[in-house]
Amino acid sequence: MSAPPAIATSRLSKDYGSGRGLFELDLEVRQGEVFGFLGPNGAGKSTTMRLLMGLIKPTSGSAQILGLEIGNESLAIRRRLGFLPGDLALYPKLTGRVNLDYLAELRGGVDPRVRDSLIERFDADLGRPVRELSTGNRQKLGLIQAFMHEPELLILDEPIAGLDPLVQQSFHALLGEVSAQGRTVFLSSHTLSEVERVTHRVAILRRGRLVVVDSIENLRAVALQHLEIEFDEPVGAQEFRGLHGVTDVKADGRTVTVTFEGSADAVVKAAAAHQVRAIRPREADLEDVFLRYYRPERPV
Amino acid sequence: MSWPAFKIALRLRLPAAVSAAVGLIAVQLAVGALFPAVGDSIGKLNIPKGVARLLGGGDYGTITGWFRSEIGSIYGPLVIAALAITGACATTAGEEEDRVLGLVLAHPITRPRLVAAKAAAIGAVVLIIAAGTWAGMILGVALGGGGISLGHISALALQLACYGFAAGALALALAAATGRRSPATGVAAGVAILGWLINGFAPLVGALAWLKYLSFFYYYAGHDPLTQGADIGGILVLVGLALLLTVLAMASVERRDLLA
Repeated sequence: MSAPPAIATSRLSKDYGSGRGLFELDLEVRQGEVFGFLGPNGAGKSTTMRLLMGLIKPTSGSAQILGLEIGNESLAIRRRLGFLPGDLALYPKLTGRVNLDYLAELRGGVDPRVRDSLIERFDADLGRPVRELSTGNRQKLGLIQAFMHEPELLILDEPIAGLDPLVQQSFHALLGEVSAQGRTVFLSSHTLSEVERVTHRVAILRRGRLVVVDSIENLRAVALQHLEIEFDEPVGAQEFRGLHGVTDVKADGRTVTVTFEGSADAVVKAAAAHQVRAIRPREADLEDVFLRYYRPERPV
Repeated sequence: MSWPAFKIALRLRLPAAVSAAVGLIAVQLAVGALFPAVGDSIGKLNIPKGVARLLGGGDYGTITGWFRSEIGSIYGPLVIAALAITGACATTAGEEEDRVLGLVLAHPITRPRLVAAKAAAIGAVVLIIAAGTWAGMILGVALGGGGISLGHISALALQLACYGFAAGALALALAAATGRRSPATGVAAGVAILGWLINGFAPLVGALAWLKYLSFFYYYAGHDPLTQGADIGGILVLVGLALLLTVLAMASVERRDLLA
């Protein structure tokens, strides 16, 4: 029998009224993958994670984690996963060490070697009260507590918030190791470069509804693309406006930058009417994917 | 109950509890030291009947009356209720508003077990303050020349602890049900103050005298422990209420969404 999905939701909904919340989410995250959950603030990412953690209850629908129902098997689920909430808070008067000791005790203890290696990896400051720590140093404690019991599944809400670039690198390396061990990571972000670098698949959420789930490669293929075309003499932007697939045109002297989706055929043919010195494509990043799915006129 | 959750909740409240206990000891030492010098003159004060009832009889001419008024009717219940109520609200709704509870409950601990641990921690805070009251009264009475038996002092401390349990449990139930620290603190404190006023004033009006049975304070101070010893009926009512409210707190927090 194959392993159950790490996360499987079926029409999972949380309706806060006035169009806010999460609506009929059908999602499957496979075991062993690093899965990115994208969307702007208010899209429903944190609501999804809080539903999965059992902190809030669904209005309708269901979800399973590692084959267990979130409603009545929540305790068994929580033994097997690590969670980093968005906007992490710890006991401010207590030191990082006491906070970690407490959270480890709630799990019945953790392997001190794993914990110490995480502390060393992130160079965490455990001796000062949490209220005296910077956001980044608090976030390090949040990551350590999420990883220190070597959970099968990690649910991480905006994990790199406040981390400096070096620590971000350490975190990305850790994600790679976790994934190589066959463990699953479900992380949310609105920092697209983070998701692009470390995830196998991503889901995009908009106004509480799932827009798309796909691999980075496939999403790139449908992303908005850019061509920077340099001509021998100045060319007006109007020559490219209205062409099939073109969404934006900027002209600056002899250089025209065209943003389009789908085929480049119409753009190239229009450019060929002039003397072209160079055509420089810019590789699509997830920002472009994001923009495509968030264009207001695009139906969900 | 979760032992780690109990330890951390108590650790966070321990400085305030110990300070309160030391403060109560200091006040009672001062009362004991002053009584021989000023007891006679203060005892002649003509205190209005209603005020006297609020002050546990207002009998400042005897060491028993003075301790009953100062400690049994004012400082003791005020301090123990204040710390029990603020502590219960801070450790539940406060942690929820501060978003700590969301992280804690991502760990393998059920909400009722967590609330039970916090209730036990507040119970320990109450016991520390009651112990301070007990020790301070023994020392204060000795300093004032004696006059109250150890058994009666112990009875007051026991009833005070039970009053603290009930006040704390009320706050815990409100905080667990709402997840809001300020409203829960305000309502619980309001009930405690109203109960104190009702117990003092309601018996002055014959038709309203029955209202005193609605007051926590009546079951704590309705029978004077410093002269009559422990009131088992009152203790049972207060402990029963505390247990009932704690169970309600455990049940209500299980059913709702965490707010933050």
